[in-house]
Amino acid sequence: MRVTCRHLEAAATSLKPRTSTTHPTPYSWVNPVTVASSAGLPLIPGSGPLAGRTIAIKDNISYTSAPSSCSSSILRDYNPPYDATCVKSLVRAGARIAGQTKMDEFGMGSLTTHLPSHCTPVHNPASPTEDEPPRSAGGSSGGSAAAVAEGSVWVALGTDTGGSVRLPASYCGVVGLKPSYGMISRRGVVSYADSLDCVGILARDVGSVQGVFDIISHPDEGDMTCVSSSARAKASSILSDHLASSLSPLVHPSETEREIAGLRIGIPENTLDSPPELLSYLQSKGAIVQRVSIPSLQLALPAYYVLASAEASSNLGRFGGGWYGSPFERDARNDTESGVERRRRIRTEGFGAEVKKRILAGTYALSADEFNNTYLKALQLRRLLRRDYQTLFRIPHPLQTSQLPNTTPKSEGVDIILHPTAICTAPLLDSSPSDEHKKHTVKGSEEYAQDLLTVPASLAGLPAMSVPAGRGEDGWPVGISVTSQWGMEGLVFRLGKVIEGWTKGT
Amino acid sequence: MTSLSRSAWSGLLSSQGSTSYRTARVQAILRSPRLTVRCYVSGTSPLGAGPSSPSSVKGKAVESKEGTSDDEWETIIGLEIHAQLKTGRKLFSPASTSYGELPNTNVNFHDAAFPGTLPVLDLSAVRLSIMTALALQCEINPRSTFDRKHYFYHDIPASYQITQHYNPLARQGRLRILEGDNKSRRTFDVGIKQLQIEQDTAKSQTVGDNVLVDLNRAGTGLMEIVTEPDMRSAEEAGAFVKKLQGLLRRVGSADGDMEKGNLRVDVNVSVNRPGEPFGTRCEIKNINSVRFLQAAIESERKRHIKHYTTSPSTPLLQETRGLNELTLQTFSLRTKEEAMDYRYMPDSNLPAMAIDPQYLGKLTDNLPEMPWETVDRLTSRYGVTKRDVETLIGLDEYHAQGVRYYEDVVRGDQAIAKRAMNWIVHELLGQLGKTKLNIPWTPTLVPSDLMREIVLAIQEGSMTGTTGKAVLKHVLSASASTAGPVAGSRTSNDRDRPLSQSQSQSQSLSAVLDDLGLSSTLSNSSSTSSSSNSNSTSSSSPSAELEAFCAQAITNQPKAVDDYKRGNEKVIMRLVGEVMKISKGSADAKKARTMLEERLK
Repeated sequence: MRVTCRHLEAAATSLKPRTSTTHPTPYSWVNPVTVASSAGLPLIPGSGPLAGRTIAIKDNISYTSAPSSCSSSILRDYNPPYDATCVKSLVRAGARIAGQTKMDEFGMGSLTTHLPSHCTPVHNPASPTEDEPPRSAGGSSGGSAAAVAEGSVWVALGTDTGGSVRLPASYCGVVGLKPSYGMISRRGVVSYADSLDCVGILARDVGSVQGVFDIISHPDEGDMTCVSSSARAKASSILSDHLASSLSPLVHPSETEREIAGLRIGIPENTLDSPPELLSYLQSKGAIVQRVSIPSLQLALPAYYVLASAEASSNLGRFGGGWYGSPFERDARNDTESGVERRRRIRTEGFGAEVKKRILAGTYALSADEFNNTYLKALQLRRLLRRDYQTLFRIPHPLQTSQLPNTTPKSEGVDIILHPTAICTAPLLDSSPSDEHKKHTVKGSEEYAQDLLTVPASLAGLPAMSVPAGRGEDGWPVGISVTSQWGMEGLVFRLGKVIEGWTKGT
Repeated sequence: MTSLSRSAWSGLLSSQGSTSYRTARVQAILRSPRLTVRCYVSGTSPLGAGPSSPSSVKGKAVESKEGTSDDEWETIIGLEIHAQLKTGRKLFSPASTSYGELPNTNVNFHDAAFPGTLPVLDLSAVRLSIMTALALQCEINPRSTFDRKHYFYHDIPASYQITQHYNPLARQGRLRILEGDNKSRRTFDVGIKQLQIEQDTAKSQTVGDNVLVDLNRAGTGLMEIVTEPDMRSAEEAGAFVKKLQGLLRRVGSADGDMEKGNLRVDVNVSVNRPGEPFGTRCEIKNINSVRFLQAAIESERKRHIKHYTTSPSTPLLQETRGLNELTLQTFSLRTKEEAMDYRYMPDSNLPAMAIDPQYLGKLTDNLPEMPWETVDRLTSRYGVTKRDVETLIGLDEYHAQGVRYYEDVVRGDQAIAKRAMNWIVHELLGQLGKTKLNIPWTPTLVPSDLMREIVLAIQEGSMTGTTGKAVLKHVLSASASTAGPVAGSRTSNDRDRPLSQSQSQSQSLSAVLDDLGLSSTLSNSSSTSSSSNSNSTSSSSPSAELEAFCAQAITNQPKAVDDYKRGNEKVIMRLVGEVMKISKGSADAKKARTMLEERLK
């Protein structure tokens, strides 16, 4: 069935808000059908660790019970014939898939504004007051972040290619994890940029994120980039060795999970500073805070856009050939239309402006004349950035057998890199607001800059989690990003919980 | 039928596709835009082979018409070969690759490029490719990677083919062609530029205004083998392909069957005068037999020579061409200007293949003896002919059971090596070819032990060749009657079965002779067949017997004797035949003739 706004509204208003500070909106959901119909279904008391939990999934994660359009007209009414591995794991653990959430088309965008014309943009539910003009929930997993923030689900899955989970988490005031590349299987997740795509988890607290991560992070024979159990075992043994050797003896045995005494935290130069009160709080808990330099950080954003666009131009080539059943494809205009003309029409009408822009840019970057000067240079920048990170960390990379030349002595290396997730609080949805709100609008290329602080961890394949850290001057949420060595999600959760404690205390 | 839609797909993927082909409403555009632009030769100039002066050209043109100028031209040939890997599954999906199925039934979601599907590499395809590369004496890349080659066409659902562009599996190999191989006039090495693993495309077919797509082939693993431009004649190119086919089958990596399309050859041809730079190269694509390959090269060579001699001032266009299999002439598919930019890009879904040196060592050790090595070894050790060894190899190109059978019969015994070869290749296979038994050769048909006994007995003179033939005939007809019903359905796989404990296993020579009522002839020697003194003792007995047979024959055939005595010498054969009849085939026909001639003098 075709989802219309009227359906959305009817479905969304039937939901009960979980928290009083947020409001349910009709805007988070692409496909609330399963949500609405679940009201009539008796909730099967499943077994397993997630029994009774409701989880939303982003619209680019394959689920056989509902269409997965990736917010694109080209995939409208596409019913995946198989379930994504992560969805299977959730269902097996007893979770109920509540429905699909809105996103920027194919994950391309930072504000969840790149949607088919019949869809309304996602409104940020974390408004400090009733009469604020609507603001963006961030993107591209904006629907997932808003659904969690408004309380209509317990947890939502998103995907994060350059910050698409962390940015909306920051804007909506929820926790958003982008795991290490290769931790969660991508099978069934519609590719945007294969070398960067990660399934991410959004929830209202770190514990919930961790609980879901433990269930969907496992090897998968259907995804060769999903790491083996031996690599996972190596990562966890490195982490436990590190905790045993580098962190100070436990002060409060009851608080072992939140023990951070001896943890070394790096604050990158030339980026926005984290709230000083938070840093003092962490120091008071025994963490060592120091400045670090990541020289390649400046060039991460252009490198990211070259690589992501190039991969997107390749991955999106499959659409328009006549396979998946969009209305454009089914509707043969006339008998004289040639194969080339037909493909051109489907792609012209089926893709939105932002997607077309990136396909063009990516195609250009891969063309024979540009390849060396554009794509290869971006790959080189990515390599430099990875090296920068590896020289900073004192925890060794579990997947690298030969150690990179480590310029920083191990004792001076850091365990965590900490910085704000976004360069600002959530921008306004309306691009022509009254003067007092003008500074919160985002125009043109400014949208790309939203990813400035999130793309480095994506390029380096590192785990990064945005944790709410209070509200900005305008009253809207602010998120702090915790980044660590590959495979060190455990450490990320540990510091995340401490920051969470500080936020709730203030 | 309307365009492909989701509902059509659900039908496609349930194996009960009642309608065979699914239609995409598209017209024939470029039939196959997979133009491969490969530079074999640096410094190849499109104008390079132009004759030096117009005057010489005129003369050449005249000669060309008379067809005498061919020797003044050199033909440069390079091949690009695609061989389907014989693993039974597709390179990146678990779908089967069985041949001749209903269209669109061997299809996995990944083969149809469904959103969210990811490639999972078939490691046995990698193993077989490495072994092929080792057999071609290539250097194996310790870390090879997969790339995407992009183009839009219906035969490639993802709009890219996964191949190895930047870091192929193997490089710099060679295959030696010997003088005489497929009438090659010299012995030389064909360089292997590279060997890479890649996906095959779907099959597309234009019917009216529609393009029909069959995804059964989509995603099948291929080895692409690119040679250096080292061949100089159609025969040499044919020799290379035939030799490669033998190699692929012996390694077990591919069937190399051009008719079934699991080995496809593209050939690059250019022509120049000796000592001058290479001429413009043209590629002829999708040739599906060695005969057509040679015809395509000949046609292309003649076309180039004609062009250079008749219109030397216009450069020959660099083209991709096809072969008309009826006229055996090539025709233009597209020119170089239509070449595409494939936007090669690393495929991030596939990790690099790091090949462990220990694993490589293991594969090297397990590499079977190549057919030409078998020829070398057997001809030099046993003095048998190359042709006969090739016949043995041809019995089972995959597992070399024919060669093993021969060696089981000979057991290193050089004295009987030639005779054994003769009896296997000419007597045994000859009888199989003649009789209407319709059973293919297998090692169990005439067990190697029995064959060895026969050969030994003949070698020692304790049994005549005629008796030997009778024994073979008897054993074969017994096999046919027991194995007859299944004979028709035997496939190459059946040959892999362990030798069944059938009638043949229990057969000994003496038992067979008993069956034939011939036991007496061998009774005194069968138990001592290997002893050295058997010769003298056994030879007197048959000759006395033969005397008796001959006497009997003369008595039985008085008319023949009369005719012979009147000068009709041909009639002697009737008497020889009578001797054979009386002796139930055990007599030596030659000796009998001599003896009869003596008696009738």
